[in-house]
Amino acid sequence: MSKPIRIQQADFSLEAEVNALKQTSQRMGGIVSFLGCARDFSEGRDVFSIAFEQYAGMAEKAMCALRDEAMDKFDILAVRMVHRVTTVHAGEQIVLIVVGAEHRKAAFAACEWLIDELKQRVPIWKKEITPDGDSWVTEHP
Amino acid sequence: MIKILFFGVVADKVGKQQMQAQAGQSLEALIAEVGCADIKPLLVAVNQEQVNDLSVILKSGDEVAIMPPFSGG
Repeated sequence: MSKPIRIQQADFSLEAEVNALKQTSQRMGGIVSFLGCARDFSEGRDVFSIAFEQYAGMAEKAMCALRDEAMDKFDILAVRMVHRVTTVHAGEQIVLIVVGAEHRKAAFAACEWLIDELKQRVPIWKKEITPDGDSWVTEHP
Repeated sequence: MIKILFFGVVADKVGKQQMQAQAGQSLEALIAEVGCADIKPLLVAVNQEQVNDLSVILKSGDEVAIMPPFSGG
């Protein structure tokens, strides 16, 4: 089975990640996922594709630290997080967070917290490739 | 020596992705030496841990990353 927290170039499968999460416990009553995809429009202009860059080593370590914090902070059973670092085109998958808990509220709360914190604390950057040229994205809405 | 890594728009502004510098100086002095003092906001990591105190003195073998705010996800 693939590592539960990882950065990779290749695409991932939501179903495979949910199945892998379910295999860790039979006490899960709720599984919540966040799937981030590439948009074809941003800041008022068309976007052809998004190129990602990471600080290799630190990025995956920061994601593992987030998982550990979420496990302490919320009443959840398991987390899987996958972030792609490659060039993705509009509609393609970028990031997946899957959280399993006994009850749904903790799973929803942890999943939202994890994607918010990932954007703040994991050293990954995106550059949008547009008809007018390339530009680094500096904000994280 | 210390190894310095630049990422994203910071790498574009500095015109390189990595370089080396002398140990024994503070992070603040290093940031000025490599021409990043005017780039704001800036995030810094030493040995893959984010650091806010720029007075820390760098030792030989340290890896310093000078980075723009993150934009993953």
